[in-house]
Amino acid sequence: MLQVEAMHKSFGDFAAVYGANLNVERGELVAVIGPNGAGKTTLFNLITGQLRPDKGKIVFKGEEISGLPPYEICKRGIGRSFQIVNIFPRLTVFENVQVAVLSQQRKSSNLFSPAQNLAVEETNRILESVGLSHKAGSIAGSLSHGDQKVLEIAIALGNEPELLILDEPTAGMSPEETTATMELIKQLAEEQGLTILFCEHDMEMVFDIAQSIMVMHHGQTLIQGKPEEVRENKEVQEAYLGLDAAQPNGGEVDA
Amino acid sequence: MLGQGFSFAALSSQFLVGLSRAMILFVVCAGLSFVLGVLRVPNVAHGALYMIGAFSAYSISTLFGNSSTGFWLTLILAPLVVALVSLIAERVLFCHLYQREHLMLLLFTFALSLILGDLVKLVWGATYRSVLAPAVLRGSIFILGSPFPRYNLFLLTVGPLVAAGLWFFTNKTKMGKIARAAAVDREMVGALGINVSWVFAAAFVIGCYLAGLGGALVAPTVSVTLGMDHTIIIEAFLIVTIGGLGNIWGALVGSLIFGVTQALGVLFWPQFAIVFPYAAVVIVLLLRPRGLLKSVW
Amino acid sequence: MVKGLIDSKRLWPVLGIFVILLILPPLHAPRFYIYILSLMFVTSLLAMSLNLTVGYGGMFQFHHCAFYGVGAYTFALMLTKTSLPMWVGFIAGPIAAAVVGLLIGWFCVRLTQLYFGMLQISLGSLIWAIVFRWYNFTGGDDGIHGIPRPSILSSSNNTYYFILLVLVICLAALYTIVKSPFGATLQAIRDNPQRCEAVGINVRRHQLIAIVIATFFAGIAGDLFVVLERSVFPDLLFWTLSLEIFIMCLLGGWFTFAGPMLGAAIIVALRTFVGKYTEYWTLILGVILILLIFFLPEGVMGYLLRISKSASQRISGRSQVDAASRGHA
Repeated sequence: MLQVEAMHKSFGDFAAVYGANLNVERGELVAVIGPNGAGKTTLFNLITGQLRPDKGKIVFKGEEISGLPPYEICKRGIGRSFQIVNIFPRLTVFENVQVAVLSQQRKSSNLFSPAQNLAVEETNRILESVGLSHKAGSIAGSLSHGDQKVLEIAIALGNEPELLILDEPTAGMSPEETTATMELIKQLAEEQGLTILFCEHDMEMVFDIAQSIMVMHHGQTLIQGKPEEVRENKEVQEAYLGLDAAQPNGGEVDA
Repeated sequence: MLGQGFSFAALSSQFLVGLSRAMILFVVCAGLSFVLGVLRVPNVAHGALYMIGAFSAYSISTLFGNSSTGFWLTLILAPLVVALVSLIAERVLFCHLYQREHLMLLLFTFALSLILGDLVKLVWGATYRSVLAPAVLRGSIFILGSPFPRYNLFLLTVGPLVAAGLWFFTNKTKMGKIARAAAVDREMVGALGINVSWVFAAAFVIGCYLAGLGGALVAPTVSVTLGMDHTIIIEAFLIVTIGGLGNIWGALVGSLIFGVTQALGVLFWPQFAIVFPYAAVVIVLLLRPRGLLKSVW
Repeated sequence: MVKGLIDSKRLWPVLGIFVILLILPPLHAPRFYIYILSLMFVTSLLAMSLNLTVGYGGMFQFHHCAFYGVGAYTFALMLTKTSLPMWVGFIAGPIAAAVVGLLIGWFCVRLTQLYFGMLQISLGSLIWAIVFRWYNFTGGDDGIHGIPRPSILSSSNNTYYFILLVLVICLAALYTIVKSPFGATLQAIRDNPQRCEAVGINVRRHQLIAIVIATFFAGIAGDLFVVLERSVFPDLLFWTLSLEIFIMCLLGGWFTFAGPMLGAAIIVALRTFVGKYTEYWTLILGVILILLIFFLPEGVMGYLLRISKSASQRISGRSQVDAASRGHA
């Protein structure tokens, strides 16, 4: 569904992404891992259009999308949540998701109908699926960090994406929240048939739910494969000095 | 419609007039750019401070009996008066706003411009004043076959001096380098133990000093009146916009473009002379919306 | 109380009463007050139109009056230089303003924040300069005076009602727009343009549409000015007036719908009555602005809403305590 080939992006002299490759099949749960500074967020930014690639190709559902502006990429079916919480702090939780749904329904430029009556069902459905229904009327800026990260995902869902890209969805969450979010991601993949691409530092979570793992280091792709393959791979073990590959569940990476 | 004489003499003379005007614009705009670069706020009060500089020049030179030495003293003292006014405004009010969003800072400078504008009316009244240039700078000399005011020649030397001084300050002195660093990353500068608030105060006062200097320099060439602030502030804003926000050399380039096109406009189409520099601004902005030179941030 | 009003269904009757109250003055008050109220209406419309871009859109619309002036001058020129009926000029005003808004806006939305504002000041000032100097066409710095009014509007009472009617219609339109998906999206863009892009919204296009709408209403305000004052002059296009309107929005509260209207009314009232006693109104305006920045940045309306919200929370908190003490959860 999504192929990234030989992606390059430099900022001045610093090569953030230097020959990255990624392949995501429809319906898969794919994780991108790598030490801090490996280029994961930059790669995501390139895929979703916040950055333009210097070299390389990104193909989504057979169409090349490299270099398109973010709103065009979103319209083609890619939704995204951000690493640093990126919500609409002054709007309510309901309104946060509603904006995305309205955009999906191509109603953003509608000047005449009262907004509060539109897209109510869909918005409520999404809020229910992520477990935020009881907070629908709260101002988004007042939510706890964990809830805000879940809201991040909910906003991305508002666009009914076929491919959902999650940038460190559990960063800064407590263990209970992390488990809940993991469940949510699994549920989204299984029940709603979403293809999910995410990056994470929590190795336990990654090896638990991902079907395919891509490892990045210094902007390059070391390997992409099934969790067992990745765990056995010597280069990966070297890159991750803290990774205890002998343990069956992997370990937390020292970030 | 078209002005007199396309003779080379008229053209070159007018070109030099434009250059001298550009020098005054540069002194004022360098100050505005400097403040814009370090504080990231366009100082709307800059025009009012320029006007205070001109009016102070009038008062001070009258105090010295309009003598020649009086004029040189005026050039030293008038900008200092303006610097003092800006220091008071900064320490009493402005510095408390540095944590607020930029829009609030801009609105504050607008409020300051309103207050200072009326203060000038209060102190000096509404009649217009004039300042005499010192004897050595009166009259004209002949350049390339046309008479050229001596005072303009003086301006043509002052401009580069100010430019050189600013270059030296920002590149060679410790304080200048700190100011440049604060423009780019104020948190980092604060983390290095430098009192960012003092850096801002110094930058603001220096920028306003230059506004006052511009006012003092322009005083002998125009009638010093209320409303000077409004005309100069628009021109200054346009110039720093086409030069690149916060970039002092951009202010120089912008001033040259503005001053020269305005002077040539007077030659070719006197009624709409003012449109020439504005049109130049529009053309620059259509091609390079962020200005000709890189913005400091 | 205020928030309760706005939330409940009592809003429309209250508004209705308010409008009816406004219908009364011409019957009793002296002409001068009718004039001041009319001026407040015109300025309110201008401030409300600005707030669409600033308060709801988060854009640095620093030279809104350029469009106001374009609308006013277009109407005035059509009335004085052509023999077309008044309504043609009346429609031409806002259309001209919106076209200029589209042109200038197209360049401005490519930039952010301060660059946006400075570019708009530059381009707007160019328009001012042209109008200021083009003596033969626009009257230069004299402006155009003695613009004819159609006979139905010849009395100041009828002018008052006409302006009030146009204001109410425009406010209803603006309210609808603000409450529509367009308005909700605009506010989202204000809060987080990057997120909006990621959610499929073409931010630039949306902002441009907002600018065109705002400048259209500014043009209508310009028309109304001509109807009221029967003259136009370059000061209408001067950039200090733009910042004055900004102050009105700030004073009233720019995150509220009615705030800018309140701010406009206060400033017009102050300007008129203070102006009688002193010629230093500008000084006082500056002091007011400084007080606002330091003590009331959310504006009068914002402040009222905040204290009424906390008052109602205190009340509901008290009732919760009462209920708990009676053994209810």
